Amino acid sequence: MFNRNFSVSRLPGFGAVAVFTFVMLYLPIIILVTFSFNAGVSQAQWEGFSLQWYQAAFQNDQVRDVSIRSLWLALAASGFATVLSTLAALGTTRVGRFPGQTMIYALINQPLMVPEIVTGVALLILVAFLKVQTGYTGMGYLVAAHTAFCIPFAYLPIRARLETMDITLEKAAADLYADHWQAFRYITLPLLVPGILAGFMLGFVISLDTVVITEFVKSAGQDTLPTYMLGQLRRTITPEMNAIATLFLALSLCIVTAFFVITRKRGT
Amino acid sequence: MAEARERHGWKWLLCTPALIVLVAAASGPLMIVVAYSFLTPGNMGGVEWDFTLEAWFRVFFRRDIFDPDAITLNQAHLGVFGRSVLLSLQTTLLCAVLGFPTAWFIATRPPSSRTLWLFLITIPFWTNLLIRTFAIQEVIRNNGTINAVLTGLGVIDSPLQMMYTDFAILLGMAYVFLPLMVLPLYAAMDKLDFRLVEAGYDLYASRVQVLWHVILPLVKPGFIAGSILVFIPSIGAYVTPRVLGGGRTMMLGNLIALQFGQGRNWPLGAALAMLMLIIVVGALIFYLRWANREEARNV
Amino acid sequence: MGSTGAGVSEPTETGTVEIVIRDLSKIFGQGAAAFHALSDIDLEIRTGEFFTLLGPSGCGKTTLLRVIAGFEQPSTGSLGINGKEVAGLGPNARPVNTVFQNYALFPHMTVAQNIGFGLKMQGRPRSEVEATTDEMLRLVKMEAMAERKPSEISGGQQQRVALARALAPRPRVLLLDEPLSALDLKLRKEMQGELKRLQTETGITFIFVTHDQEEALTMSDRIAVMSAGRILQLGSPHEIYHAPSERFVADFIGDTNFLDLPVASVDGSQATVTLPGGKETAARLPQGYLPVLGETVTTVIRPEQAQTVAPGQGDMDGVVENAVFFGTDTHVHLRLDDGQPFILRRQNIAEAREPAPGTRLGLTLSPGALRVLKG
Repeated sequence: MFNRNFSVSRLPGFGAVAVFTFVMLYLPIIILVTFSFNAGVSQAQWEGFSLQWYQAAFQNDQVRDVSIRSLWLALAASGFATVLSTLAALGTTRVGRFPGQTMIYALINQPLMVPEIVTGVALLILVAFLKVQTGYTGMGYLVAAHTAFCIPFAYLPIRARLETMDITLEKAAADLYADHWQAFRYITLPLLVPGILAGFMLGFVISLDTVVITEFVKSAGQDTLPTYMLGQLRRTITPEMNAIATLFLALSLCIVTAFFVITRKRGT
Repeated sequence: MAEARERHGWKWLLCTPALIVLVAAASGPLMIVVAYSFLTPGNMGGVEWDFTLEAWFRVFFRRDIFDPDAITLNQAHLGVFGRSVLLSLQTTLLCAVLGFPTAWFIATRPPSSRTLWLFLITIPFWTNLLIRTFAIQEVIRNNGTINAVLTGLGVIDSPLQMMYTDFAILLGMAYVFLPLMVLPLYAAMDKLDFRLVEAGYDLYASRVQVLWHVILPLVKPGFIAGSILVFIPSIGAYVTPRVLGGGRTMMLGNLIALQFGQGRNWPLGAALAMLMLIIVVGALIFYLRWANREEARNV
Repeated sequence: MGSTGAGVSEPTETGTVEIVIRDLSKIFGQGAAAFHALSDIDLEIRTGEFFTLLGPSGCGKTTLLRVIAGFEQPSTGSLGINGKEVAGLGPNARPVNTVFQNYALFPHMTVAQNIGFGLKMQGRPRSEVEATTDEMLRLVKMEAMAERKPSEISGGQQQRVALARALAPRPRVLLLDEPLSALDLKLRKEMQGELKRLQTETGITFIFVTHDQEEALTMSDRIAVMSAGRILQLGSPHEIYHAPSERFVADFIGDTNFLDLPVASVDGSQATVTLPGGKETAARLPQGYLPVLGETVTTVIRPEQAQTVAPGQGDMDGVVENAVFFGTDTHVHLRLDDGQPFILRRQNIAEAREPAPGTRLGLTLSPGALRVLKG
């Protein structure tokens, strides 16, 4: 009855629920990763350590194809999105209010607000029309769609970086006879690099994750890793999928960690 | 005016490349969807360029095949709407029930370890939604982890059917959207003045009373923001119900996709997509108006 | 003025004891990082008194208040309120209410709801909650603001609401954590009087935490001076001011001259010390301290306890280094013959010129004012 631990911040049962939540959040992922190393096909019985499913994944031509396509698509889309977002951020940040600014914000953030399925079918309609009209069925549609979808994500950290930047530095540069371009080239741009890098990474992860839009825009033979996985999930699943998912997960995790490191360094 | 255009011209110029891509691959197509919802479906997908309200009509009603004047409510569609809204609300509730204690737990850790816990909540948020859905599927499918463990322990004889049920979709959505509830709740709790909690206890409130009369009203903005952040993607969900619901239990997103696939009724699909957008925008407007009112009330 | 009895600090027989604290300590952290916020606290606070915990920031006074309130639990020792052991009980189980430093008014409730909160939580009937709320609103003169939100009233008004909220449940003890520190000077003076009035009217025991020595001296029945987690001296404002037991207390409360002087003779509670210039004078000894003959002891004397006379006519002489005009009085900084500094406070009764630097003055010490500090 003598409780030395009365704490105003404690609420009964909350700690337990929180621990339960964290376990629920990570247990499926841990199981997924664990059984990618299973010697057997079971998702529940450990039959010994093995890399056979990774081997199978690497020897699967289709998996290799879609992985490479996913990576270069993400690279291209986030690359374009980063360049466009950097320009847009320079045009909209630290410039005071100007006519049409709200509309620009709305357009930039639109992909964040509209459900992916709606954007997906909208693109399906447009792309189907264009394919008939132009005869072009290449990857350009996917690159454009992914780029548009990545823009709000790339724009966010770049804008944040710009907003926290000291404007007097550019004034100092101008005072030292730098023209607009030189001030940008030697002052603004180098200071902006962490933001641009963060924006690029965020865009890359988002493009890599995008499945719905890709599903509706892709032509035959343009599967990416997520759409390939989505197709496979209907069939009998072997731990090969676990192996692919684990590799995918590891890649995302690396990028996200790098993103956090970059953005946190910015804060200090 | 000309001078103003001159002064602001370069800002627009810098934004133009991004805006072209956005209009071409995001906003523009959306306008086309609006247009398509008023057209007549073509035989092999696509549309005929004849204006009609038929697609919007068929969103809610159906005509008897043999007697076009016998109009009934489209039970199948209404069922999907109902399920979508209900599942989205349930997901929001489940996320709130799990997310509130989790956010509180993180907010009451010492500052040094708080970053780590926050990072742990954020990681799943940035990892692929499909993979997380896949992970859940592995756990709940008939020969998945839960059934294998329960069978192994002798608790059950035949596997529990969890896949392809509303429950599976609920579980999956709560799983993938939980961080969206925790983060704004945490942000609200982080701003919470703990002296107010102390004042509550000082004035004889029990833990439940402090929670109800002090903590909950003060973190309400985080609650509402989190609820909106979970509700919107839940309403728009496509991947999670497709994987975990199979073809058997559909949500609005799957119904839309169906019209562009086997259904071959693009105008109906377009109208359904607009309906989804209206619900989402409605939720957003509700939120913004609430937030503005709240801001006006607590000057 | 210096005629109050020697450092009596034990509670007198009159009046009942409200709070008893024995061997209390509070340690934050563990091992090498452990921080002793409170050590060996022994304290009795009487029913109905205005008790002040005084000390610089970080001295442990707020921690002690929070331990009494129940926000922190003591690491060791016991804490009794009204004869009941409360260590380990939460704040909601103690007949004690707090006025927080920044008021901690619930921003989502009106002034009236804030004031009625405690009673409502105690499950009192609605009619009683309303009646008491009205009574409290009248008591702090806030009737007109009952339906306002805390963000819609001024700082001074928030202060009154915080007081009313804490008083409404009629606690046995009211804890006030630097409640006046956020107010400007004029409002602070006004609230000092207000607090004293409320305490007298309600008869509730007040425990008041402050770092402001003037506030402590004007309002308190008794003061505990704290430093580094310990209580250094406990006594009435007079005792604390005129008979500081330690150098820290003397230094913290008011301006003080410290003079290191050799002891010429010792006689009971008095010693004779030799002043710079060779004259001898009596100095009071603290209880239980007997210096050795010839030993140099530290003595204290307040700047207002010396008067100027012609050079050679007083107890000692000094040369003016500079003089600072303060309006009601002037501080004259002197250098004594043996090089020790001395500050003299001269009341500006008549419009007099400050003495010019280099002027030689004689100083007469008020009889009985010079005190020896414990070595």
